[in-house]
Amino acid sequence: MIRWSYAINQFKPQFDDFTRRRDHLRALRVIAASGFSGVELNAGSGRWEPLGNPQQMAANFGSVAGFSTFVSEAALDGVSSWFWDPSMRLQEDLTHGDDPTQPEGRDGLVAHARMFSSALAELGGDVLVVRPAPSMGDRTLDDTAMTALAESWNAVAAAVAADGIRLALHFDFLSPLRADDGLERLLAATDSSVGLALDTAEFTVAGLDPVAFYQAHADRVTHVHLKNAAAVDDLGEYTFPAPEFTVLRAGGSRAVPRWFTELATEPLLVDAPGFVSALVEHRYDGWVVVESDLSPHPPTSTMLNGWEVRYVLGPISADRAGARL
Amino acid sequence: MKWSYMDHWRSQSPHGPIDQWESRTTMDRFLKQVAAVGYDAIDTFDFRWYQIMGEYGSVANYQEFVQERGLDRIVNTFHAADYDTRTYAPHIRETHANILEDFRVTMDRWSGIRLDNIIVMPATLYYDMEPVTEDKLKITAELWNKVGAITADAGVKLTCHHEFFCGIQSRWELDTFYAHTDPQFVNLFVDTAQHCIASVDPIEFYESYADRVSGFHFKDTRNHDLIGDYKRRPDSEIMARTTERWFYEMGDEDGLVDFENFIRAVARHGFEGYLSVEHDKANKLGGDHAESTAIAAWYAKNVLERVAAEEVAR
Repeated sequence: MIRWSYAINQFKPQFDDFTRRRDHLRALRVIAASGFSGVELNAGSGRWEPLGNPQQMAANFGSVAGFSTFVSEAALDGVSSWFWDPSMRLQEDLTHGDDPTQPEGRDGLVAHARMFSSALAELGGDVLVVRPAPSMGDRTLDDTAMTALAESWNAVAAAVAADGIRLALHFDFLSPLRADDGLERLLAATDSSVGLALDTAEFTVAGLDPVAFYQAHADRVTHVHLKNAAAVDDLGEYTFPAPEFTVLRAGGSRAVPRWFTELATEPLLVDAPGFVSALVEHRYDGWVVVESDLSPHPPTSTMLNGWEVRYVLGPISADRAGARL
Repeated sequence: MKWSYMDHWRSQSPHGPIDQWESRTTMDRFLKQVAAVGYDAIDTFDFRWYQIMGEYGSVANYQEFVQERGLDRIVNTFHAADYDTRTYAPHIRETHANILEDFRVTMDRWSGIRLDNIIVMPATLYYDMEPVTEDKLKITAELWNKVGAITADAGVKLTCHHEFFCGIQSRWELDTFYAHTDPQFVNLFVDTAQHCIASVDPIEFYESYADRVSGFHFKDTRNHDLIGDYKRRPDSEIMARTTERWFYEMGDEDGLVDFENFIRAVARHGFEGYLSVEHDKANKLGGDHAESTAIAAWYAKNVLERVAAEEVAR
């Protein structure tokens, strides 16, 4: 069964935004009013990230359970998932990011993953969504690095399973896994317990067909980010230095204003109904997190996507589910 | 309970702030956002008729466009007249013929769809009517009795909405006006924030006239007008020095309206029409219409509907 959640990341465009309780309350109510039952959190660090990690939740809501109550009071069922980019620093324990290609740092990676997974379990969530490798930049993933990467994520998947949490690798269009068939190699090298978070827009911007990829790897897809794409990185600009800024935000050499858009905003590079049909065909059972990261108008994006889920995508899953019976 | 959303809307475009009437695309986005968060219908202004005819060809065609996006219909229209003591002023009898003709034309323009109410501000700006006397209120009532007969012929209720800055806003003015109007032709549309600003308790006022109430604007305010902003020249609504923004969505943490007890009263009286939500100038001081609309929908579904159900169960 598909469960619909919304990613909260769009509500915090800059590090000093979205810090106050009122902001959080209003964002959660917008998500709930738009018909979603869950919310996906985004990992962060420091006192301006009240929802970023368990320590900050405790500082702001008394405890992780206190934040869970706050979510419930907004009429949401709970937290679906938590997105974590391991390369982020954690001021809370004075670490400077984990690199999963480095075996000597694996214990730290696993410990941080457990920090998030244990809190996520307390919040009623299911999936720890991670960025599998740092941005491309000048990095290449040779066989040694790929082996280390696979072993790291195997270890993390086993560790978070102790909390009842599934691991899902979130491939994005800045990833070095775009080169040399990296994503396929990583999936082949990891255990089946290592799932994939398929982000329809990230795949599309990377020049991959999300429906075809899903059809080929449905058994590995344990999480979905559903969003539309407005452009394709067909110039391979993910190899630029610091692509999180130069490409993702600044839009690369073409100054693409938004790579990601709402599900029915032209141009429709992602076939959302087609993708949801494929999920239903394969009896997908999990969260579909609708996302509109870097939206210039988060409430509007949420509401427009809520309309699509209510009137277009939800009925597809209901019709198909009925047809199976 | 059925909820309708009143027209007010602003969003950003590449060329600056726009309303939803700019194009079919912007209207599509507006209606989908309203439908997505659970509203059942919309209200509008009848001065939109020109844009409707230009873009959709007829009012009925526009309503179909609305319905294709998951909303029931257009429930109410607000007749926002250009009051002018020379040509169009309810307390000046010499202007009545002009006003009556305006309503004959208006009802004909909207005859292609079913409307529940046509809403009016029943008096000019306060400073154009003061001193507000019983004689002026009688003349005003005389006009609206006649207008109500015209709208009733078209199957639409005439209903009066009292802006805090109009000539009928204090409790004495309200009571005097309604004493002289015919309940068969002149109804009341209670705007929670407008009455609150004018220091008229919206619950007590509603209870006094419940049998004449044909609709509501649910919205909140953070300020009572205690210093006479209601008669400020040239404008009270968006130019008052004391208050840059008068209106907020219901559920606002600093709001003055007691919505829970208000909806209890509405439930007790068995009101069966659409409940309209309005966000008048919600974009002032950094506000956002889309966000306010979603927050108000959340409050309606998660607080007010629960409270109303409790009241009905009692």
